Amino acid sequence: MGALAHYLEHEGLPTTQISLIREHTETIQPPRALWVPFELGRPLGGPGNPALQRRVLLAALELLDAPEGPLLVDFPEEIPEETAGPDKDLEGWSCPVSFTRQTSQENDLEKLQSAFRREVAELRPWYDLNLEKSGRTAVVEFGPESASEFLGAFGTGEQPVIQKADLSLATAIRLAAQDLKAFYFEAATARPGLASPSSGEFNEWFWQESAAGRILKAVKERCLKEEDESLKMNGTLFLVPVDQA
Amino acid sequence: MAQLNQMPEPMRSHLAKLPCPSFNDQPWVSGQSLSHRRVALISTAGLQRRGDRPFEGMAGDYRVIPGDIKARDLVMTHVSTNFDRTGFQRDWNVVFPLDRLQELATESIIGSVAAYHYSFMGATDPSEMEPAARNLAELLKGDRVDAVLLVPV
Repeated sequence: MGALAHYLEHEGLPTTQISLIREHTETIQPPRALWVPFELGRPLGGPGNPALQRRVLLAALELLDAPEGPLLVDFPEEIPEETAGPDKDLEGWSCPVSFTRQTSQENDLEKLQSAFRREVAELRPWYDLNLEKSGRTAVVEFGPESASEFLGAFGTGEQPVIQKADLSLATAIRLAAQDLKAFYFEAATARPGLASPSSGEFNEWFWQESAAGRILKAVKERCLKEEDESLKMNGTLFLVPVDQA
Repeated sequence: MAQLNQMPEPMRSHLAKLPCPSFNDQPWVSGQSLSHRRVALISTAGLQRRGDRPFEGMAGDYRVIPGDIKARDLVMTHVSTNFDRTGFQRDWNVVFPLDRLQELATESIIGSVAAYHYSFMGATDPSEMEPAARNLAELLKGDRVDAVLLVPV
């Protein structure tokens, strides 16, 4: 991020930026930066918290009025509490489905795939209702059944057909995995009467309790054994977070 | 808390190893007061219009985001799995604060909002982004932009 500021400022464009990792910004020394104490992925703070977003935005933009630099300023507020939507009654988060209990004693990948299909089918109506209500989904390329069939087949040793002709196998796997996680989150948060999960709560459920998480770990393991360098990179970096591997 | 010394392993080591260039100079361009500036957003969250090319590999290219885009038409194809995406799923302003920026323009706190915004994919080695970034500067000037807010993820 800070490197882009150097390049643009060299071309005559004033820049300011938000910094998420203070140590990186200290090394790069961009002209103007506001460090915020928020988790990675949330540079403006909390979802559904426009007042905080505005304060962060203003604090970053006001650095443009400073007479000289470089500047690295700390945003003075702490990590915000999660803000629930207007129709949530904050009863807390609970796992939407947990088919893995039925297969926890099984090592059979086919049974895992079967559990994965049931999981997707049970979540599907909630995803549809959320999409109908919000008009927005983070799913990009692969619908839920398409993603689950594709990843389930690859994770269980088959050679699945890529439905998207313009995507390499490695890119298709990565995008399908991202779409699957987006589907699970949107379906899980659409259930009535429950607060949205924090990112940590969602990750805990998805990676430790869902069949989908186990399938993605199987996909990662297969990618690591493939000759193709792009697939190996998928397995190393792009499918399972380093703190869930 | 995104300070390396407060992060648990293995995330701390993973982030500490990311490419982080240093520069020998400190460029600084001044400008008019904030209330007269035209502001563009540049994200490194791997954002794109729905239907545009997904980000792939470690290329240093960028995607164009029109200023009148709706939240439902902006998606994320960043390669990394090591940051939270659920905030963006619930509220795009957590990553791409276009609604907030437009409010500041309506209140004349900033001069105006650019007609186009842009996104790179931040897992890329920064040096790979340099040619595209320098070309992008001309596009921004063509849009009369005189303030760029860079937003990481």
